[in-house]
Amino acid sequence: MAWMPRVFIPLVIFGALAVPAGATVKLVALPDRGKTVVRLDRPGPALIETERDLALQKGQNEVVFSWKGMRIEPDSIFLRLCRNTVNAVLTGAGSREGEAALTWRIYSKKAGFVTARITYLLRGIDRRVSYRAVIRKGEGRADLEGYVVVRNFSGRDMENATLALGEGRTFRQGIRHGETLRLLFLERKGIPVEKRWVFDAGIRPWVVKDPGTGKGIPFGYRFRNTAASGLGAFVLPPGKVRVFQEDGHGGTVFAGEDRVEKVPVGEPFDISIGNSRDVVVTQRKMRDKRINVRRNRKNRIVLYDTDEVITAAVRNFRDRPARLTMIEHIPGQWDMAECSMTYRRTDAHTLEFEIELPAKGVRKLRLHYHRRNVR
Amino acid sequence: MKPGWIPVMVVCGLLACVPSYGETDLAVLPRRASVRLTIYNSADLTLVRETRFLTLKKGANRLRFSWEGTLIDPTSLDLRPGGRKGGTGVASLSFPPRVNHQAVWNVRSAAGGRTPVEISYLTSGLSWRALYLVVLDPGEKRMALREFLRVANMSGEDYENAQVRVIVGRINLIDRIVELARRAHPYGRPGGTFQEAVMRPETARAAKMEGAKGRLMMADKVLSARPKEIRKEGVSEYFLYSIEGEETILSGCSGLLPGFRADDVPVVNLYRYERERYGDNVMRFLEFRNDARHGLGKTPIPGGVLNVYRKTGDTGRLSHEGRCRFGYVPVDEKAVLGLGPAADVIVRPKLTACRTGGYLFDRHGNISGWDETREYRIRVKNTRRVAVRVEIRRNFGAPSWDLKRTGKGVTYEKIDVDTVQFTLELPPRTEKTFGYVLILHHGKRAG
Repeated sequence: MAWMPRVFIPLVIFGALAVPAGATVKLVALPDRGKTVVRLDRPGPALIETERDLALQKGQNEVVFSWKGMRIEPDSIFLRLCRNTVNAVLTGAGSREGEAALTWRIYSKKAGFVTARITYLLRGIDRRVSYRAVIRKGEGRADLEGYVVVRNFSGRDMENATLALGEGRTFRQGIRHGETLRLLFLERKGIPVEKRWVFDAGIRPWVVKDPGTGKGIPFGYRFRNTAASGLGAFVLPPGKVRVFQEDGHGGTVFAGEDRVEKVPVGEPFDISIGNSRDVVVTQRKMRDKRINVRRNRKNRIVLYDTDEVITAAVRNFRDRPARLTMIEHIPGQWDMAECSMTYRRTDAHTLEFEIELPAKGVRKLRLHYHRRNVR
Repeated sequence: MKPGWIPVMVVCGLLACVPSYGETDLAVLPRRASVRLTIYNSADLTLVRETRFLTLKKGANRLRFSWEGTLIDPTSLDLRPGGRKGGTGVASLSFPPRVNHQAVWNVRSAAGGRTPVEISYLTSGLSWRALYLVVLDPGEKRMALREFLRVANMSGEDYENAQVRVIVGRINLIDRIVELARRAHPYGRPGGTFQEAVMRPETARAAKMEGAKGRLMMADKVLSARPKEIRKEGVSEYFLYSIEGEETILSGCSGLLPGFRADDVPVVNLYRYERERYGDNVMRFLEFRNDARHGLGKTPIPGGVLNVYRKTGDTGRLSHEGRCRFGYVPVDEKAVLGLGPAADVIVRPKLTACRTGGYLFDRHGNISGWDETREYRIRVKNTRRVAVRVEIRRNFGAPSWDLKRTGKGVTYEKIDVDTVQFTLELPPRTEKTFGYVLILHHGKRAG
């Protein structure tokens, strides 16, 4: 602690020190730190609960808690008396303006020990989560590890601490001020995964004049936070996922990374790790006409329909089959005149095609649709 | 830093003998037993996986790893004990306060003794790129294609006797490795912005780079010996090239490794004209297909820089035809390599007539539709001594049109709603003229 520019004096007990006139000092004690729980299960400041055994004198006692150099939220500090065999009562608290200290007044009918639990919110300490997934050779299963990274820049060393990360996951692990600690909290082997290629015409560039300039089709893996997948015990916290792929020679290659949001139990989550350039979509608009044109008295067009044709050739240059999810968007009111593949309408303006691509094969999609009542 | 001793120093100590956070560990500096580099070209990123043998005590051990002067991403550090399955495990990884570029693994060993450990991490500063050399035969119908891989190391770390692999593929990265490597705190600080956490590059590393200049990597070894075999295999959506044997890659150096070679690849001499893209220039391309018929097609061709030469005749001398950068070419896909503007193939479109007609009027007498007729003649001249294919794209800027060809020997295809492409095969030193009549429908005529 000597290295720290500010000193955290955990708890000092005075007997009515320098407060009410006429009071006398009954006791000065510097109790040892007891159990400390650092709760990091929510975003924002960490909740700290620390216990101290206080030796109280009969009558009025004062307990001074100071936090110079620490990023405690002063309004969040409170004290509870546990294991209170002397029937001590918290009678009040006060602090001086501008001072990082709080004084509690405790009245005890007799001398004895109580355990005080002090709770406060502390900034500068938090936790992040990262994942490491290794996709097995057949790309149907993966090993998943989850790490929690605790960063303590709060100004306080947390010795003998219990780090509570939510969902019942706790670690008995001290962490010093300025230290970053990485701990394994999740390890599952052989989780089933589904490989997916996704082409979203609303996101991916499909340049009409130069369809060859696409940057590949995003691909990744779908995991499920379910018991059947070996997960499903708790909500997976958000974090970065680094994905490795078995190389077939006893090693791995780094395959890419993505960020997952919080995954509730029972829900799937997709990790997109890169772009495949062996699955290629060449999409073109082949017809775009106005039909059923209505004009006003000034001969201005006020309403019309469209007659549009989009074609897409989906090529799989791989020597293995692939399943592409292709997403098309048609704005406004529309009806399909003809479509060469079945699709699922995921919302009013979005069509989703699941296209099975044979190895080294091509599938062609033709959409002939009318947009109605375009103004 | 001595080569081979790395920036990466492993210190092994017995936890029980020292205070909880003491720094009086027993220092052991085991050399790398092996190291494997997997270098990416779509991002500044290399996966390093090294094996070391440590002597662990039974119980808790602390292994200290430091990487001062390098570009290692500390968030990627990973240690996997090998050998004694289930007997050794990593309890935690700590980045201690008040020291930079240092991490401590807390490892529990059930039995103690000599244990192999595999340490892996991502680093910035190593790179590879593909270079290609094309030599066209005098008739420009066939070409010899050679691939080279240039591997460069500016990572601040020497890698001796490393197994080198390179990855062809485009991966997603959320953070740049070099930025993660330069953070003052490996995972940043709570509430701190990323920029605040970035350290300036160390002068020590810069000095080291400077000192490394002039050292040769493995180029002399490679070029004098039998060309190394490069094994190519697919891993998911990527291709992995493994270079035979081991290489020493010193920091501040680069080296060239020969890749595949195909000596008799059929190629099409292709010229393109499209005013909206290239202006009045005719652009030259070489077209071939990455398939077995062309003596290729075993693996995709990674993108890179290509220099094209042509044999000038019996003398065996070469002329430089152009240079281009091209992208990844999958197996069985066509490759079109752009060599820039060409002056020896001429395309001159001329508008010979323009008229309108077929007017429609609404009840107020205003024009509600009409047709516009344009007649073009296009003169195409090949001044070269070799046959060429010429593709001419015409964009009409309107979705409703009809087209009539005039002249024979010219075909066209509809590319999209308002674009067609004429294709011509021109023998050496010939000229061809063809025409077309384009009728654009406007207003009500378009319906």
